[in-house]
Parts: sequence; structure tokens; C-alpha cells
Amino acid sequence: MSKEFLGEFEELVLTMAGILQEEAYGNAIVNEIKERVGRKVNLSAVHVTLYRLEDKGFVKSKMGGATNVRGGRRKRIFTVTNAGLSMLRTMKESRMDLWKLIPQLKIVGI
Amino acid sequence: MKGKIPLRFLEWFCPPALYEGIEGDLLEAYEEDVKDRGKRKATLRLGLNVLKFLRPGIVLRNRFKMELINTIMVGNYIKVASRNIVKRKLYSFINAFGLSIAIAFCTLIYLFVQDEKSFDQFHENKGQIYQLLTSNFDQDKFEKKTPYPYKSNPYMPGKLGDVVLDELAEVQYMTRFNNYNVGVMRYSDKNFTQRFASVDTGFFKMFTFKILSGDARKPLRNISDAVLTKEVAQKYFGDEDPVGKTFTIDSDGSIASFTVTAIIETPPANSSISYEMLVLMDAIPWFVRSRENWGNSSFPTFVQLQSGASPSQLKVHLDTIMNKYLGKYKAGWRDWLTPPEDVEPRQFTFQNLSELHMAKDIYWDKVSDPMYSWILSGIAILILALACINYISLALTTSASRRIEVGIRKVVGAQKKQIAWQFTFESLILALISMVIGLGLVVVFLPYFNDFTSKAIELTFVSMLPVVGIAFTVAVLVGLIAGSYPAIFLSGFLPALVLKGRFTSRLQAGFTKPLVVFQFFLSACMIICSVIMYRQMHFITTKDLGFDQEQVIAIPTQTGWNPKANQTLTAFRNELKGDPAVASIAGVTSSFNKGWSRQSYKINGENKEAFIYGVDTDYIPLLNITLKEGRNFDGRASDSLGVIVNEALVKDMKWEDPLNEHLNWHEDTVGLGAPIIGVMKDYNFMSLEHAVEPMLISIDNGYLMTILAKLTPGDTPEKIEHLRTTWLALFPDRPFEYTFVDEDVAAQYDTHTRWSKIMGLSTAFAILIACLGLFGLSGINAVNRTKEIGIRKVMGAKLSSIFILLNKQYVIYASLAFVLAVPLSWYAMNRWLDLFKFAITIGWEIFAFSILAGLLIAMLTVSYHAIKAALINPADTLKHE
Repeated sequence: MSKEFLGEFEELVLTMAGILQEEAYGNAIVNEIKERVGRKVNLSAVHVTLYRLEDKGFVKSKMGGATNVRGGRRKRIFTVTNAGLSMLRTMKESRMDLWKLIPQLKIVGI
Repeated sequence: MKGKIPLRFLEWFCPPALYEGIEGDLLEAYEEDVKDRGKRKATLRLGLNVLKFLRPGIVLRNRFKMELINTIMVGNYIKVASRNIVKRKLYSFINAFGLSIAIAFCTLIYLFVQDEKSFDQFHENKGQIYQLLTSNFDQDKFEKKTPYPYKSNPYMPGKLGDVVLDELAEVQYMTRFNNYNVGVMRYSDKNFTQRFASVDTGFFKMFTFKILSGDARKPLRNISDAVLTKEVAQKYFGDEDPVGKTFTIDSDGSIASFTVTAIIETPPANSSISYEMLVLMDAIPWFVRSRENWGNSSFPTFVQLQSGASPSQLKVHLDTIMNKYLGKYKAGWRDWLTPPEDVEPRQFTFQNLSELHMAKDIYWDKVSDPMYSWILSGIAILILALACINYISLALTTSASRRIEVGIRKVVGAQKKQIAWQFTFESLILALISMVIGLGLVVVFLPYFNDFTSKAIELTFVSMLPVVGIAFTVAVLVGLIAGSYPAIFLSGFLPALVLKGRFTSRLQAGFTKPLVVFQFFLSACMIICSVIMYRQMHFITTKDLGFDQEQVIAIPTQTGWNPKANQTLTAFRNELKGDPAVASIAGVTSSFNKGWSRQSYKINGENKEAFIYGVDTDYIPLLNITLKEGRNFDGRASDSLGVIVNEALVKDMKWEDPLNEHLNWHEDTVGLGAPIIGVMKDYNFMSLEHAVEPMLISIDNGYLMTILAKLTPGDTPEKIEHLRTTWLALFPDRPFEYTFVDEDVAAQYDTHTRWSKIMGLSTAFAILIACLGLFGLSGINAVNRTKEIGIRKVMGAKLSSIFILLNKQYVIYASLAFVLAVPLSWYAMNRWLDLFKFAITIGWEIFAFSILAGLLIAMLTVSYHAIKAALINPADTLKHE
């Protein structure tokens, strides 16, 4: 494993940022998680996680253009970096490796 | 914009770089919520969401900068501040004085509280050590519905210690501890009265007292072994190595010899367990005699539980032991304590070692009431408040002269914030100067403080660090709190107005008036309380106790409870017969404040109790006790049967003609009991905290272990020296010790005397500080009204009417404060006086006196400014216009 480690929630947020691409900002991620995973998460938790991911170098952020909604405030758009992507990939692979080691269940009877 | 307040709050704690993104997201969520759930719920959720952002992950992303002080200006602030302090020496002195006293007080009280808290904390096993207690059912507590209606004492049956150690698996070690053995200790030509503690071997395993030399593993192996503290060893053996030396102790009528096996560290001042010498319990004949007697509860006992054992289990096991060994006594206790059917009359309980010091209801050495910590803290906060109020009102008084400075600074470009900071900075500097003075005061006053509170707090380099820390914290807090109001006030001046020259415009410092009433109120409370305390202490120390205590000394016979005591008395009396130094000599079982004995007996099925003293024929004449009826013992043979009782006992028995009555206090089954041969007028044989209880004296009740000697008037030291030589010639192997009876009697009120002294001293300081504050306020007032006074004088007002005009309001403030203070202090002092059975009544004259004294002090204080203002030539004040 690499030196950095991702928590479950961090991984979820990072994945969502990857999915949303140019539209990856705090509120959108909250909504995306709700829609795809069916899990209600806290906006502040998502923000804090995003900043932590940025500290670790897995995402980078820039301010988007102003819009008419949200009181004219700009969005902080997060994009997944190469390091973030490879982290996600490593995690997925190591999980698959482990998965393969579980003796597969067989359906017996009936 | 809706929901502005939460967002402003967010802006306050959120790092600016992140703010816009977060705010946008919040607003977006808010807009969605408005659509989905309506406006009210959305607003609520917005607030909640903002609060959720208040988390370390966000807040700690702020880059903390001290933008408050402009560092370039600090040098200037210091310069201006020091110039101002020097320029107004009187005000600076008043401020620094008040603040430094307040800081010193706070620090001393911190030391006191700290010392109280540190009691017994140095034992490594303190968590597992418990003191066993005997808890008796208490009717009073039961009626008041106390959750645990028992009164506890630490005296246990001697056998209990052995039983818990043998039978209970959770008890690891046990020691009994009795520090009340006294004897005469002799080594070569030295002999002194020596107190010694008896313990079990568990003592050394349980408590953390270091063995300094000798057998450290098992210091007490044999009943002839003794462990001494360094001081005691020094006293008897000087510089010789004490270990292995043999000495004797003459106690309780027998002489035993002991060998020193080890030297142990002296228990620190904050230890509830204190000793000078340790021997085994088994070395005490009295213990060995009563060990198997479960009915004799006299031995404090400590146990240490195995680590991990639960105290609740111990409780269950103690109940079992109680039933097993003491079941047969229960009926008797039930008769005596009369608890309801379903309540146990007596239980064994326990308390942790660390609770020992503060358990004020359980008598133990140095036990203390947590109330004292509260009272002292209260006084400290009070004085601190007074000093802060002073600082504020004085800063406002002098602010007029700082107006131009503020104006110029503002014109040059200073912001309001900067000026506020400047003034806060100034008060900080003053507070820090006060801190240094305050610390000096702490060092100077610590010995007196120790005296007052009977503590032994020492300041070492190490303990000085937290003290400095505390003083610094208090100083900074005071500087900030006291400095902030003047700072805000002064920084609010409008430069245009100030610089146009409206110096004499009225200074609106209305805020100080309630502060001064408050100051007055606090001082008034303290004045009333200390006057009452003083009156009560005066009453107690001068009250006629019903006997003559002057020039009487009490000399212990140093023999213990045996016939040698009476022989000593007789020999001493015969030797001094006709001696001009001594008026008379009498014997008594125990002198005033040196112990008592009380006996209960049943008369006609009713429980009665009386204090009993054994005396000789000279007791009543020596103390000049009045006999109301009957006669004194006069040496006839039948006297040994009779008793002399006091009026309280006559009243208790409801006797009409006491001389024809008998008191069957021995509960004889045959005969009527002791005939009453005399009735004494009630005299206070106990402290005035207690009523005069029924009491009797008998000529045949035990051994007279105290000799009372009444000296003839004049040259007391020489006469005592004469007695000493006489004594040492008669009994060379026993030390001559004496106390004055009047001092013994006064010693009963040590605590009260101490507290009235503390109260008096605090009152003095409080009044001083409050007066300084008042002085400042009268200054403001005079400055404000200079012009008015000028005009009045021009119109022909007399000096006296101006004086009255200026002082009128202070009289009103003071009266108001006193009206507020009277009920509070009346209530508090009544509670205190409840401690005494003999107390003064709080009459109106006490309040009148306090009010007059308070007003007089206040008037004297304010007059300076009033007279000064009234004397100014009106031309000087009016020519500017």
C-alpha cells in the first residue's frame, strides 16, 4: 500500500469528485451521494473531507464562474489529480485481490 | 438578505479563502430547502448547517495572526504609559495598591485551596486505602430526611482489624492507628512527655512514608521495637546514630523499654496521618486488654484493598461481619439509638483516604471544613472586584486629561481599535507592575497567613512557579477586564469636539455610580460582619464563666491512670504547704479543655447523662465556684459517697429540694445511690459553644491526673520556676509541664478568633480599597462641576452649601448600600452565632454603629475633593469661556 491511506468516507467523496468532473463542488457531491448511494451526508463533513484530500494532494481546487443562483457566489470546483486517481485505482485493486481470496459461496440444495 | 446572522457568524470563524465556496454551497442548499420545505424550516436548517461548520477541520485552517496590536506602536505605547504613570503618581499608586493587594489575596487563597486539595495525595496507594467507620443511626438526620441518616466516627473495635484481614479476600493490608498514647520517654538524663502512635505492620506497606535509615523492610518486628522521626531522634540522641539505642517509656502506669529500629520521614504538613514515634499496637497494654472485647470501639482502622477489588463488595462483607460478631449488641443499640424497625441502628462503613481531610463531620486530626475554602475565595473575589471597580472609576476620572491625546492620535490616523488597545495596554502594564508588588506581598505575608489559617505552606522555587503563573493570570485578566471599559469609553471621543477645546464638557460616567453603590454594599456587609464577630469574641473572652480562672495553672501528674497520680498530688501539696508562691493546690481528673468524661445512666427508666469530674476538697474553693446550697466536701468519711451537682442537673432531674435527693448514677440495684451534698452555681466547664450541661463532681471517682495550682499575685515567671524546681526535686524522672487555665479556656475559641481576625483584616483592606475608589469618584464629580461651582460662588453661594451639594449624593449612596447590606449580613451572622449557645443578640445599635462608622469614613474620603473644589477661586475656572 502507498504511504497515504484513505478512509471510507474520503474514498467515497473522492470517487464522487471523479464522477462529477467539472461539476464537482460541495453541494453537488452531497446530492450525488444521496442519489447514487442513498446516504444522507453532512455538507460540512464533505467540505472538511475535500480540504483534507486537497492537503494530501488527491484533489485540487479552483473557483468556478459566478452564477445567478446561490446568491451570486462562485463555486469551488474540485478536480481529481493523477495521484488521486492512482490512489483510487490502488484501493480498488487491492480490494479485488482480497475479494478473490474469499472462497466463493456455492448454492447447495433445493 | 435572509438568514444574515448565521452567515455573519460563519464569516467570523471561517478562513477567508474558503468562505465564498462554503457560503455559496450553503445558500444553494438553502434555496433548495425553501422549495422543498418552506422558508421557516430552510432558515432553521441554514443556521444548523452553519453551526456544523464550526469544527476543527474548518476553524483550524485559519492562519492566526495577531492583528490586534500594531507592533510598531508598542514602543510608543510603553513610553506614553510610563510617562502617564509617573505623571500621576497618586492615581497610579492608588491603582497599583488596590490591584497588588487583590492579586496578593488571590494568590494566597490559591495557595490555601491548593494546600487543602493536596492533603494525603502523596500516598502511592491512596486509591485503595480506606478508613473504616462506625456509623450510628441519628434521629436528627433521619427527621430531616437525609439520604444517609447516620453519624460516623472512626473508632472501631480492636478485633475488627484482625477479622477483616483474616476473613476478607479483598483486604490486602490493614493497620490500626492510634496517635493518642502519651508517656514520659527517658533516655540517659533526658525525659520529656512524648506522644507516640501505635500501628500494625501493614502501616509501612500502605502509606508512603520513607524509611530514612535502619530496617526499611520490616521496621517493627517485636513489641519492643520503635520507629522515630528525625526530630524526635535528634531530641533524645543528639548527633549519635539513634538506630539500636534503647530507651524507656513510662505510660499508663507501666514502664516499657524500646529499641530504635528505624528512622522514618516526618509526615508532611499536608498529611492527615501524623506521628512522632511509631510502635506496634501489641506494645500497648490497653489495646491488648481490650482486643477481644467487641464492645470497646476505640481504634481507628485503615485497610488497603487488593487492586481491582470493589468497595461495594467490602460494604457487603462488613455487614456480614457486623451480624456475625456484633449481633448480640444490636438490641442494646436499638434501645439506645431508637431507629425505626426497618433501619439498622449501627453499620460499619468506610471512606477513601483522600476524603479524610474534608470529611468535617468525622473527627480527625487537621480535618477541615470545605466552607473555609469557599469563604476565603469569596473574600478574594470581593477584594478583586473592589480593586477592578477602582481602576475603572479612576481611569475615567483622569480621562479628561487624555482627551487631547486621543484627539491628536485620531487626527493623525489612529483607529478606534488601536486607541482602545493602547489604553488596555496601559492597564495591563499597571496590572503587571501590581503583580510584581503583589508577589512581594505574598512572600511577606505568607508567615502571617500561615498563622491565621494554621497552615504550614512554604514557598520553594518549584512551588513559586504556579504561584507566579496564577498571579500573572489574575493580573492579565484584571488588566483586560478593568481596562476594557475605560478603553472603549476613551477611544470613543470625537476628535473634532475634543480638539475644538470643549474640555470642560461633562464627563458622562454614569456607569460608575452603581459600581460605587456596589462597592459600598460589599464594604458595609464586611463592616457589619466584623463588628458582630468582634463583639461576640469580646463577649466570649470576657464573660464571667462562673469560676476564677486567673493565675491558675494546670500541671499533669505524668503518671497515667493509676494511684500514683493521687500520691503525686499529695506529695506536691505537702511540699508546697505554706509556700508564699502558691495560694492553694487542688486535684481534678481533667482540667478545662483537656478532656472530659460523660456517663449515661437510667433513672426510673429514663436515659440521663451527666459530665463527671473527680476532684478533691480544695477544688471548689480554688476555682471560687459558688455553692448555692449545701456544702463542699470537707473530708468526712461519708463524703466519698456523696456528690455535688450543678444547677443544670437539678433542673434536669426536676428536683424541688436537691439536698434531700439521691442520684443513682452507678445504677446500684440496692440503695438509693449517691446523696447530694451540695449544689454549685452553673459554671462553664465546657466551651461557650455548649450550654452548661448536667454535671457532677465526686471525691471518689478515679485518679486525679491534673494538679491545679493557684499562684499568689505578682511575678509569675519566678513562681513557676520555683514550682519547677520543687517538682524536679520530688519527681526527678518526670517532666514538669504546665498550662495556664485561662489560656486553655481561650484556646477553645482558636478557630473563631482566627476567623474574626481574618474577617477584620479583610474588612480593613476592603474599606481601604473602597475608600480609594470613592476618592476617585468624588474626583470625577468635582471635575465635572468645577464650572457649576464657579458660577454658584459668583452668585454668592457659601462654602458650606457647596460642600453639602457635593457630598449629598455620597450620603445617599452609602445609605442605600447599607440598607441593602443589613438583611444579608444579619442573616449570615445569625447563622454564625448559632454555633454558640452563649451569644450576643444582634441589636439595632450594632447596625447603627456600623452605618455611622461607614458614613464617617466615606465623608472623610470625599471631603478632600469637595473642599478643594469649593475653595477654588471662581475666576480660575470661568475665565476660559
